Amino acid sequence: SKHPDPLHTLREVEILDAKTREKLCFLDKVGPEHGLHWAKDPQWYPARQSLRLDPKGKSLKDEDVLQKLPVGTTATLYFRDLGAQISWVTVFLTEYAGPLFIYLLFYFRVPFIYGHKYDFTSSRHTVVHLACICHSFHYVKRLLETLFVHRFSHGTMPLRNIFKNCTYYWGFAAWMAYYINHPLYTPPTYGAQQVKLALAIFVICQLGNFSIHMALRDLRPAGSKTRKIPYPTKNPFTWLFLLVSCPNYTYEVGSWIGFAIMTQCLPVALFSLVGFTQMTIWAKGKHRSYLKEFRDYPPLRMPIIPFLL
Amino acid sequence: TGEWHKPGRRRIVPSSVVLTSFQVMSRVFLIWAVTHSVKEVQSEDSVLLFVIAWTITEIIRYSFYTFSLLNHLPYLIKWARYTLFIVLYPMGVSGELLTIYAALPFVRQAGLYSISLPNKYNFSFDYHAFLILIMISYIPIFPQLYFHMIHQRRKILSHTEEHKKFE
Repeated sequence: SKHPDPLHTLREVEILDAKTREKLCFLDKVGPEHGLHWAKDPQWYPARQSLRLDPKGKSLKDEDVLQKLPVGTTATLYFRDLGAQISWVTVFLTEYAGPLFIYLLFYFRVPFIYGHKYDFTSSRHTVVHLACICHSFHYVKRLLETLFVHRFSHGTMPLRNIFKNCTYYWGFAAWMAYYINHPLYTPPTYGAQQVKLALAIFVICQLGNFSIHMALRDLRPAGSKTRKIPYPTKNPFTWLFLLVSCPNYTYEVGSWIGFAIMTQCLPVALFSLVGFTQMTIWAKGKHRSYLKEFRDYPPLRMPIIPFLL
Repeated sequence: TGEWHKPGRRRIVPSSVVLTSFQVMSRVFLIWAVTHSVKEVQSEDSVLLFVIAWTITEIIRYSFYTFSLLNHLPYLIKWARYTLFIVLYPMGVSGELLTIYAALPFVRQAGLYSISLPNKYNFSFDYHAFLILIMISYIPIFPQLYFHMIHQRRKILSHTEEHKKFE
């Protein structure tokens, strides 16, 4: 008698709702080589449909194939609607283009922001012009990195995130820009020395942040979603990998601290603090998943601040 | 409504952490940042109004929690908790808003908790404007909380009624 060949046995797939367990769909005669996109409902776009082996488990990827999943000849998959989705690239471009544009509105003292006698006037302080260059450079860099450098592991995020994120970035940009470009702006207490030091910190951290983004990009070939431990390269800026898991965040915090010292503006310091808090949460999460995924992960590394945090 | 097994949080009563923190923060704000800070409003009737409303609410609420935890909740307490708010909540809100409103001219005159440009931190804050913003925020927030309680009332009190029918 012929034994059923697991490689070629047709499967049955039942799809249940992850919350109510009601039977949504039953597919029979599914080839084991079929990917999950075959099982998704064509009336909604695939990115918002999550299929998983366990109702509370991780979402399966579209490329996962039935024969490689730990299921028998009858597979039970749980379905969850993730809600309206939007691509990461779209969100990043929108949330970064806003601050770039908004800051310039304040820099050029567009009417209805400051008193009418200041419309389209220019600040007499060098540091104000320098701050505009740094802020604009920072966001142009982010936009270019989004378009040409970053390799995203997820295609989409929930739609409501774009409103949340844009409020944060655009709101803070307007708040900071208002004070830095104000006619009554007070330049830093220690003058040119303070500005020069702060500028050096800012530039070094921007270069560092960019170096890390390039190093992370090189870890992952185009189109793949592989994950590896990042290591220092020949570029000295990447040597921070010896001490932290997410040096890109470390450099980002450094940039904003530099900008805060340069402008000596409390709203900038508050923005840096909030950003630091959020990045620390992300860094700790990333650090934890590195530790879980790689047994040989370097023990000296901390999530975001060497030796401390 | 309770979620008893969320990891990382110790729960003794099934109230939402977010809603409760919000309420506690708003009360602390009214007491310290308004009534204590602006001595001139302390003799206002509006202060009496919100203090009475809060006091009665809390006596009922904590009796409710205590009896619930002892697994012996008299229906009267449950009824009081989910009914008296209909009057006490608007009473408290009125007292709070009137108190903030009464404090406004004194805040403006004294420049209380405010800082203006130019200064070396390149920062400004107008407490008078901030208080007005707080007052405006009651408009979206109060109806939501009020109708949430009304919804809870319908759910919880009708549930008990049904049980009583089958006894």
